[in-house]
Amino acid sequence: MMTQPTRIDARFAALKTEKRPALITFVTAGDPDIETSKAILAGLANAGADVIELGMPFSDPMADGPAIQASSQRALKAGQTMVKTLQMVRDFRAKDDATPIVLMGYYNPIYVYGNERFIADAKAAGVDGLIVVDVPPEADEELCLPALQAGLNFIRLATPTTDKHRLPAVLQNTSGFVYYVSITGITGAAAPVVNDVQKQVAAIKSATPLPVVVGFGVRSGDQARTLGQTADGVVVGSAIVSRIEKSLGAKGEATPRTTEDVLELVKELSSAIRGG
Amino acid sequence: MQDGDGQILEGHSISAGLDYPGVGPEHAWLKDIGRVTYVPATDTEALDALRICTQLEGIIPALESSHALAYVMKLAPTLPKDNLLVVNISGRGDKDLATVAKHLGMKI
Repeated sequence: MMTQPTRIDARFAALKTEKRPALITFVTAGDPDIETSKAILAGLANAGADVIELGMPFSDPMADGPAIQASSQRALKAGQTMVKTLQMVRDFRAKDDATPIVLMGYYNPIYVYGNERFIADAKAAGVDGLIVVDVPPEADEELCLPALQAGLNFIRLATPTTDKHRLPAVLQNTSGFVYYVSITGITGAAAPVVNDVQKQVAAIKSATPLPVVVGFGVRSGDQARTLGQTADGVVVGSAIVSRIEKSLGAKGEATPRTTEDVLELVKELSSAIRGG
Repeated sequence: MQDGDGQILEGHSISAGLDYPGVGPEHAWLKDIGRVTYVPATDTEALDALRICTQLEGIIPALESSHALAYVMKLAPTLPKDNLLVVNISGRGDKDLATVAKHLGMKI
């Protein structure tokens, strides 16, 4: 399907001329509370995030490991809703018209919000792409195709168990970039094996002109730099939300360190990925 | 079971196999077409049914199946004495003995 280039397309095109991989940072909207989360979101691009993945918190995040599960729980406990998440994007977009935002999450909160309404509101808020991990290609008509039609990218995950028979189905309606899940299992569970990732990324790249990014086990600047040499981008999520968790006070509340610590980590990752 | 934002709510049941916040699509369909009538049983009713079946029949039903037996105990007295009732004891209760003992205040 032909669509207008999104901020995601523009960003990856720009990075290609700079000859460096993208740093994609994941945080959950509303973690640990909405004000702190807004402050973190507002600082990510300056700290070096090239693309921002914003998690829509869900009670049952079945693809996520303990760190992101806890992050989702903190956000929900603080009262995060889909309406507030979209408003966060709208507020962000008023000040930053270049940094791509990908909403990442699960289908049920979208389905309950209403697919058409969600796509329209997300687009209007300034969202560029969606990752909805529990809607397979077989159900593309429900969410993926209407999202593409509205000018949003729909980013799908390929995994170590996506074989050559399955890959075409995964790639068919994917746009923006392909997210290669570098380990079998949940987010943050294990460290990816670089040689395996290299092979798989090469196989995906031979089947699509889209950028391929790697995530699900990237914790350190060194890993980010190594994996960045084999892919068009690296996603860091669990390590960032773990940093949020570590910065919290005794009652789980944000402290003056929270935003600062997270942005410090993003700066480290960014400098590593740029070969600094 | 979910809230207005599509967040899944916690269920509760004394039996692990029923402690789940959803209903399978086949059950939902069978209810909608009116082929199956679904009735509730409380934790206490299920425990009573388990105890009575164990004492009278020497069969320890699973806590899940005990919910069905609890309804048998309500339904049977309303039917003619020679009526036949079929109940599917879908699982065995020896796996549940620790839970049952805890609820009946016993130490095993």
